[in-house]
Amino acid sequence: MVVLSAARWLRSRLTDRFWRVQEVLKYARHFRGRKNRCYKLAVRSVRRAFVRSTKARREKKRFLRALWITRIEAASLEHGLKYPAFISNLVKSQVELNRKVLADLAIYEPKTFKSLAALAQRRRQEGFLAALGDGKEPEGIFSRIVHHH
Amino acid sequence: VAKTSLTSPPWPEVPKLPDPVEEAKYHAEVVQKVNGMISAGEYGRLFAVVHFASKQWKVTSEDLIMMDNVLEAECGDRIRLEKVLMVGADDFTLIGRPLLGKDLVRVEATVIEKTESWPKINMRFWKRHNYQRKKIIRNPQTVLRINTIEIYPCLS
Repeated sequence: MVVLSAARWLRSRLTDRFWRVQEVLKYARHFRGRKNRCYKLAVRSVRRAFVRSTKARREKKRFLRALWITRIEAASLEHGLKYPAFISNLVKSQVELNRKVLADLAIYEPKTFKSLAALAQRRRQEGFLAALGDGKEPEGIFSRIVHHH
Repeated sequence: VAKTSLTSPPWPEVPKLPDPVEEAKYHAEVVQKVNGMISAGEYGRLFAVVHFASKQWKVTSEDLIMMDNVLEAECGDRIRLEKVLMVGADDFTLIGRPLLGKDLVRVEATVIEKTESWPKINMRFWKRHNYQRKKIIRNPQTVLRINTIEIYPCLS
């Protein structure tokens, strides 16, 4: 005889429900409360955790930059300079170090940071003299621009 | 005459800079001293600030660097890092404006491994709109080991 549809006892049943549930619960094992055990609560928490981690990856860069700036400010205040004066004078003296490296130098190479602060202070004073004296006085030595070819 | 609020200008008094001729003599002396120290080899461990893969790294010898991109060099290739912003030892530092010369510093590195990062999960979700997208991102990574940093006494 010709059978066109499958017999009634051959139902298509889900056999790997356990592993599908474990895929979600494995990310929730370190959570607090019932959301580390119960699937319905865990799904919501895991979803929020993933979304928060994606957003945090973008904010981590802002947060780290603020941290470096705070550290550089503290270190330059130890040497008697404020952060805007330090950074602007370093940039004017053509020293292109970024804030991450400046913070690392302030922590691990204090003598180098002191010399950078002295350079910034000297450039600052030459800037003041150039602005206030105005012409006919000798140009500052540290204000000269280096040309690379 | 009594001092009033308008006797002196409101900006702080600028101290006079030292004499340029004396300054030049002092600078030449310092440069000669540092040159002597470098040629005599009286420095311990050198550190360098290198600009590589659009990031700046503070590097010493024998340390590892990991960058989040692909490098077109096989594992085990020796590489010379050219953009050196600063080099220093215990007693002296050479600050580049902005880069130091290639005849002054030499930083060598070896490519150790080229892998992918751990699978990072990118998820977007809007509530009450039945919208969620999940993507797993694996970035290629390269690990370099800095072998040596050398300086040559060619200051002027």
